[in-house]
Amino acid sequence: MKKVSGTVRFRDLETGVWVLETDDGRTFQLGGGDRKLMRDGARVKVEGDVDETGMTSAMVGPRITVHRYSFAD
Amino acid sequence: MSQRGSLRGLFPLLVIAAVAGAGFTLAKYREDTRTSEPPVASSEDATRSPMRKIWDWLWRDPEDKQAQNHLAEVPKTTEASESTNEIVVDFVDGTTKEEFDELEKQWGVDLELADQAEGRDSAITVGKYDGNPSAEDALFQKIQENPKVEVAERLVNYQASFVPNDPSYKLQWNLKLIGMEKAWDISRGKGVTVAILDTGISRVPDLGGTKFAKGHNFVDEDSDTEDDNGHGTHVAGTVAQTTDNAIGVAGVAFEATLMPVKVLDHFGTGTSARIADAIRWSADHGAKVLNLSLGGGLRSKVLANAIAYARGKGAVVVCAAGNTGRGAIQYPAAYPGTIAVGAVGPSGLRAPYSSYGKSLTLVAPGGDKRNGDEGGILQDGIVGPEFKNDAYLSMQGTSMATPHVSGVAALLFSEGAKSPSQVEAALIAGAEPLNGSWSEEYGYGLLNAPRSLAALKGVKALASMETVDESALAASLNPRGAAQLHVAEGASETSAQRSPLPGWKPFAIATGLLAFVLLSLRRQERPGLFNVLFHPAFLPAMVLSGTGLFFLAQFVPEGAHAAFVSPLPDWLANIFFGRGKLANPLVYSAAPALAVALLARFWKPVAPLAGGVAIGFAGILAYSAWAKAPALAWLPFTALAVPWLVVNSVLCLLLARALIRKEAR
Repeated sequence: MKKVSGTVRFRDLETGVWVLETDDGRTFQLGGGDRKLMRDGARVKVEGDVDETGMTSAMVGPRITVHRYSFAD
Repeated sequence: MSQRGSLRGLFPLLVIAAVAGAGFTLAKYREDTRTSEPPVASSEDATRSPMRKIWDWLWRDPEDKQAQNHLAEVPKTTEASESTNEIVVDFVDGTTKEEFDELEKQWGVDLELADQAEGRDSAITVGKYDGNPSAEDALFQKIQENPKVEVAERLVNYQASFVPNDPSYKLQWNLKLIGMEKAWDISRGKGVTVAILDTGISRVPDLGGTKFAKGHNFVDEDSDTEDDNGHGTHVAGTVAQTTDNAIGVAGVAFEATLMPVKVLDHFGTGTSARIADAIRWSADHGAKVLNLSLGGGLRSKVLANAIAYARGKGAVVVCAAGNTGRGAIQYPAAYPGTIAVGAVGPSGLRAPYSSYGKSLTLVAPGGDKRNGDEGGILQDGIVGPEFKNDAYLSMQGTSMATPHVSGVAALLFSEGAKSPSQVEAALIAGAEPLNGSWSEEYGYGLLNAPRSLAALKGVKALASMETVDESALAASLNPRGAAQLHVAEGASETSAQRSPLPGWKPFAIATGLLAFVLLSLRRQERPGLFNVLFHPAFLPAMVLSGTGLFFLAQFVPEGAHAAFVSPLPDWLANIFFGRGKLANPLVYSAAPALAVALLARFWKPVAPLAGGVAIGFAGILAYSAWAKAPALAWLPFTALAVPWLVVNSVLCLLLARALIRKEAR
């Protein structure tokens, strides 16, 4: 389980992908969570599993499967 | 004998040798890969010299006859052809009807205004004349000489290339950017299976006329390859959307066969182990092209091995560079043996999301929607909560760029490419350079379908001589370039992508040869080794032509192109014949040294410089022969390239000997 904080973004790449841009400059593909999490520009703290070895069609970064999250502001 | 006298004695011999060599190579060079004629055209046999016939016979390729004939027939339709007995005359603007009529009568040609809508102002007329070939030239000259006539020439008919009737084809800027209309006149990918390793493929209406091979679902381990994400269907559409069916859009290789291989789940994610299995399965089941519009950040030995396996089976593996927009290519694109594809927008500039870096092979249209959806790639896809509804979707990503390359790879296989190396070499040779010969952002440049199809001919000619020597093919793009293509097994992502430099070795060889030349001179004629070597004109000339300033290569920024770090023949090849061409034997010969020596003959101060060039060339030619590295156009090294280099190296030595010799007191 990994804890990261950052900003939720929608990127119009491939079929469209929600990402988490972390404060230390990494980009995760958002997985799990729920619809409320997917809000462009939202500042969040998330806890989830990061799959570093997986392959994706979005190719924006490793996928994080969110188990818990809270909005920072 | 004086220096001048000795040169005079040598020159006839050298000139004969060089001219014979030049004649040979130029004759072959005219049949550059871009021309539409096959290397061996038997119809012209009667007019050919005996030497040329022997040459043609030596390099004939019986297996390729069919492909060659095909190539010979087809491009004609796209070329302009002169029509018989029709003339176009452009009159000076303002010429009156009366004047036309008067001149018509005088010439005996019935002229009509070409475009009535333009009116008389355009003054461009087209007419028929009596077909008497002997009087034709005189007639044309007479018309041209009239002061009222701007231009008179035979009417040229341009025949249109294949333009599909799909109504939204006009929105597909991406297909025009890579020259598909010309390419479709040559090939449409018939008989080649392209595996789409993705989220599956749904049989949307605009895939209705496309051929499918049996695929597999590696996510659920069954045979249901329906798309539950939308990605794979769109990607498959770029490769082989049903085209010229009066609905929707077109695809690159629409007569190719699609093999749906589902490796990504509903979320568009999959494991490297599953993808590795699918790669092996696809290659085993007859796929010649594997399209992997997917990627991840970590390397996996299992996946790398699977790619090597597929390549060994004769399949070419095409992978997306990634959408991070950063300077690191994702895996599997970054593995050796794959073709790594980046994305450009409609302007031909790198799309901001497209990952770049050392392993990038080339770029293709992937879309750039910053100015709206029309900048994306349009294909028939699926939408909706159940992913059951079809819709024409504009998407952007390196996933969209990749299937363009896969499609062209299918065209190349369909046109007779025999190995992944041939496909790769043709793709690279045909690519339109965008930022120097190779750069991290654009690789070898922008995919170009007709140019790659044309380049295939040269690549195949080389292969038939080499009896399929993969490393020689890889080297074909640069005389010492085997490592330039990242196909060599075990080459890591960080291995140099630039053409490898020969380094100090040619210099050592050249110095040894210089000593040998000096020893061959009589004592009175012999200058001291160091007097020669450290002459301010001799040494720089020798270094530049023999090795280049290779020691400065480390200071050249990544992606920049600096000719001076490589030996002179390499620059000459690049300047005159362009990168990505087979190295022309003419520049890897004594001819350039001979040219400088001729200058020295008439202007003596150039002699030390000419001597340096001659020794430098002797060194690099001898080194190339020794390294068994040459891949010269039309000269297979097993038979001719090495002797060619050795003979020319010796010629250079003779030149150098004549130039260095002191006048005997």
